[in-house]
Amino acid sequence: MIELIISAAVLASMYGLVAIGISFTWASIGMLNLAQGFIFTAGGYAAYLYAQTLTNMGITEGPVMSIGLLVSGMAGSAVAGLFVGSIAFLPLQDRANFRTRGLIATLAISLIGTQLWLIFFGPQSKPLPPIFGTGRIEIGSGGVSYSQLGAIVIATLMLTAVIMWMRSSRAGLQMRAMMMNPLGAAVVGVSVRVTGMRVLAISGALTGLASVMLAQTFFVSPTSGVQPLTVGLIISLAGGLGSIPGTVIAAAIVGLAEALTARYLAQSLVPFVLFGIVVLILVFRPRGLGGLLEDVRE
Amino acid sequence: MSKTSENPQTKHLVGRRAWRPAWPARPDRVLHRRRYFGTKRSVLKLSGQFNPKTLKREVVLTDKKPMFWLFGLFLLVAIPTAVGSERFLSLFGIICIYASINVMWTLIMGTAGLQSFATLATVGVGSYGAAYLSITFGLPWPLMLLVGLVLGIAMGFLISLPARRLDGLYYALLTLGLSEFCRNFVTQNEALGGKFNGALFGSARIVPSDMMTTRLGQTLAFLTTFIVLLVALAVFRWMNGGRIGLLLKTAATSKEDEAFASAIGIDWQRARMIVFMVASGVLGALGAFYSTYIGGTSLQIFSLDLLLLMLAMIVIGGLGRAEGAVIGTVIVVGITQWFTDWGPWRIVLAGALALLSVLYTRNGLFGLKEQMREIRTRRQALHRAAQTTKYAEFLPQQAPDIHDKSIIAGRTFERELREKLRGWITPEIIEEHRRSPLGQHSDHLERILNYFRKGPLPDKYAVYTEVPFQSYRVVALSGMPGVPPRIVDDKTYGSLDEAYHAVFMRRINDLKAS
Repeated sequence: MIELIISAAVLASMYGLVAIGISFTWASIGMLNLAQGFIFTAGGYAAYLYAQTLTNMGITEGPVMSIGLLVSGMAGSAVAGLFVGSIAFLPLQDRANFRTRGLIATLAISLIGTQLWLIFFGPQSKPLPPIFGTGRIEIGSGGVSYSQLGAIVIATLMLTAVIMWMRSSRAGLQMRAMMMNPLGAAVVGVSVRVTGMRVLAISGALTGLASVMLAQTFFVSPTSGVQPLTVGLIISLAGGLGSIPGTVIAAAIVGLAEALTARYLAQSLVPFVLFGIVVLILVFRPRGLGGLLEDVRE
Repeated sequence: MSKTSENPQTKHLVGRRAWRPAWPARPDRVLHRRRYFGTKRSVLKLSGQFNPKTLKREVVLTDKKPMFWLFGLFLLVAIPTAVGSERFLSLFGIICIYASINVMWTLIMGTAGLQSFATLATVGVGSYGAAYLSITFGLPWPLMLLVGLVLGIAMGFLISLPARRLDGLYYALLTLGLSEFCRNFVTQNEALGGKFNGALFGSARIVPSDMMTTRLGQTLAFLTTFIVLLVALAVFRWMNGGRIGLLLKTAATSKEDEAFASAIGIDWQRARMIVFMVASGVLGALGAFYSTYIGGTSLQIFSLDLLLLMLAMIVIGGLGRAEGAVIGTVIVVGITQWFTDWGPWRIVLAGALALLSVLYTRNGLFGLKEQMREIRTRRQALHRAAQTTKYAEFLPQQAPDIHDKSIIAGRTFERELREKLRGWITPEIIEEHRRSPLGQHSDHLERILNYFRKGPLPDKYAVYTEVPFQSYRVVALSGMPGVPPRIVDDKTYGSLDEAYHAVFMRRINDLKAS
C-alpha cells in the first residue's frame, strides 16, 4: 500500500511539473506550448552531456554529479524554452490568429526537434547516472527508494520555490499581472515579450527538472518527451489551464489512477482509464478543476 | 514600382482582365446548366454573355477551379501509370491515401470547425480492427471496409462526446494524446501484435499479394488508392459544399458567430456532429483500406510524428481547403518518401516548411494569392498617396468616402491660393501695411487682406479696445455666440493703427506657417 502511494506520488510530481509548465505558459502568454516534449528531451540530453563530460574527467558520483545533473537539465530545458519562444512566440505574438498559429508552430518545432535529437544523439536510449544513490528505506511492509524520495522532495521544493518567487518578486508580480489580464498588464508597462520569454524559461526549467528525474527510470531518447507531453497536457486540462492548485490536484488524481490501474487492472488499460477520468472531469467542469481563469480572459 | 512610374507608357496601365475559358453558345438553345442529381446545385458555374469584340453570343466558365482540379487529378493518375515503376506507384499510392486522410481531417477542422487531433487514432482503430478480424476470422476485404466504417463511426461518437462541452483548444489538447494512448494499448496487447512491436500482417488484400509483384497488380493497387481519394473528395464536396457546409459557415469563426447562428435557428452543434461522424466513418474505412492495401498494419500509424507530419501537410497547403490538403500531401510525402537517403533531415525539411508557412503566410500555399494581392494593393495605395496632390489634405483612400466632392475641390483651391499669396509676402508689403493699415493699397496687399477677411470666424484675430485712444489689445474670437474672445498675449498698443498692424502680422505668420 505504501509503495502504491509512493509510486503515485512520484508520477504525480513528475507529470505535475510538466503540466504546470504548460499551464503557466498558456495562462500568461496565451500560447499552448506543445513543444514541451522537445523541451523535456532537451533537458535530458543536456544532463546526459554533462554526465559524459564529468565521467570523462573521472567523476562518476558525488554532489558535483548530482547537483550538476539537476542544474544542467534545468538549464538545457530553459534554453530550449527560450529557443521555442524566439521562434514561435516573438514573431507571432501580435499577429492575427496567434493561438492557432502558435499551436501549429510549436507542433512543427516538436516534429523538427525529435528528428534533430535523432540526428545528433542517435536512436538509442541514453542512461543517466543515479542522482540520489541506489539505497532504500524500509517503512512497515513496503519501502521507498532514494530516487523516489528524492524526486518527490525536489519537485515539491522546486514548486514551492517558484510559487514563493511568483508571490514575492517584481518579475513574479508582472507574470501574475499577465495571467490576469495581458492587455491590462501591457497598458501599465509590463513588457509582454520580456515577461513571456521569462515564463517560457521558467516552465522550461520545471520541465527539465522532471526530465532529469524521470530519466532515472526511463532513460533519455529522442521520443521520450511524447509520453510526458500527452500526460502533462491532460493534467493541465483537467486542472484547468492556469490554475496551480487545480493542476496539483489533477496531477495527484492522475498519478493515483495510474498507479491503481497498473496494480489492480492491467498496464495496458492505464491510458484509457486516464483518458476516461479526464473526460469525466471535463464533462462536469469544462474549465477543469480550478479553472475560472478562462472566463476572465474571454 | 518606381521603374513603371518613370515610364509614361506604363504609368496608366489599368490592369489585365483575367482569362476565362469561353466557347460559342448554341443559338438554338437557352443556356442549360447541368445540376447534381436531386439538388439545385450546378456542376459548373457558367454564364452567358456577348463577346465585346465579335458581338457573338458565348458561354463563359466563371469558376475555373473544376478545370484545375481535373488537370491536377489527371496528372496524379497519369504520371505514375505512365512511368509504371514500382517505386513511383507505391509513392503515389501513399500520396493518395494520406491525401484522403487529410481531406477528411480538413473536413473536421475546416468545415466542422472542431480542432481535433484524433484523426490518426480513428484511422488506426479502423485499421487494427479490420486487420485483426481479417486475420482471426478470415474476413474478405469488402467486409473489412465495412468494419472500418462501423469502427470509425463508433470512435467518432466516443470522441465527439466531450466536444459538446469543450471548446477549441481544450478539445485539441484532449485529442492530441489519443494516438499515443492507442499506441500504448497496442504495445501491451498481445492479440494486436504487441510482441512484434505492433506489427499485424496477413490480412486480406484487394489486390492479391501474388499479383503485387507484377506491374499490372501494382498499377491496380495504385488505382484503388486513387479511387479512394476520389471518394474522399466527393464526401468533402458533398459535406462542405452542401447545405450542412453552408449552415456551418455561419457558425464558423467565433463565439459570437455561434450565438448568431443559434439565434437564427441553426442547430450548428447537430450539423457539426453529423459532419464529424461522417468524416470519422470515412476515416475508419480509410484505415481498413490501408490494411487491405499493405496487407496488415503497424504501430507507425499511431506515432505522434506521423500525426505532426500530416498536420504539416495541411498547414503547408492551407487549412480548410481540399486542394490545400492534396497539394500539401504531394509536397510533404514527395519529400519524405522520395529522398529516403537524406535520413531524418527530410522530416526536418518538412517541419521547417510547415514552420515557415505558419510564420509567414496567412493560410498556407493557397492563401498566398490573396495575401500577395493584399500586400500589392497596400503598397500601391501608399505609392499613390506619396505621389498624388489631387485630394488636398485627404488621402486618396479617403476620397471615395467624401460624398460632397466640392469639399475636396474647395480645399484644393484654398491650398493653391495660400501658396500663391505666400509668394507675395515681401518686406515692402509689410512696410506698406505698417504705414497705412486702412485705405487704398497695392494690388498684392489688397488681395492678401481680402483673403484674411474672408477667413472663418473661430480663432479669427480682432482688436479689443481697453481704453479708447490709449490702449488696444489683440484678441482671438471664439466663433461661438455667448463665448467671449480670448486675449492672445499681454502686449498693449498705443494706437488703433498699431493694433491693426499687429493683427496683420499675426495673420501673415499664420499664413507662412500653413
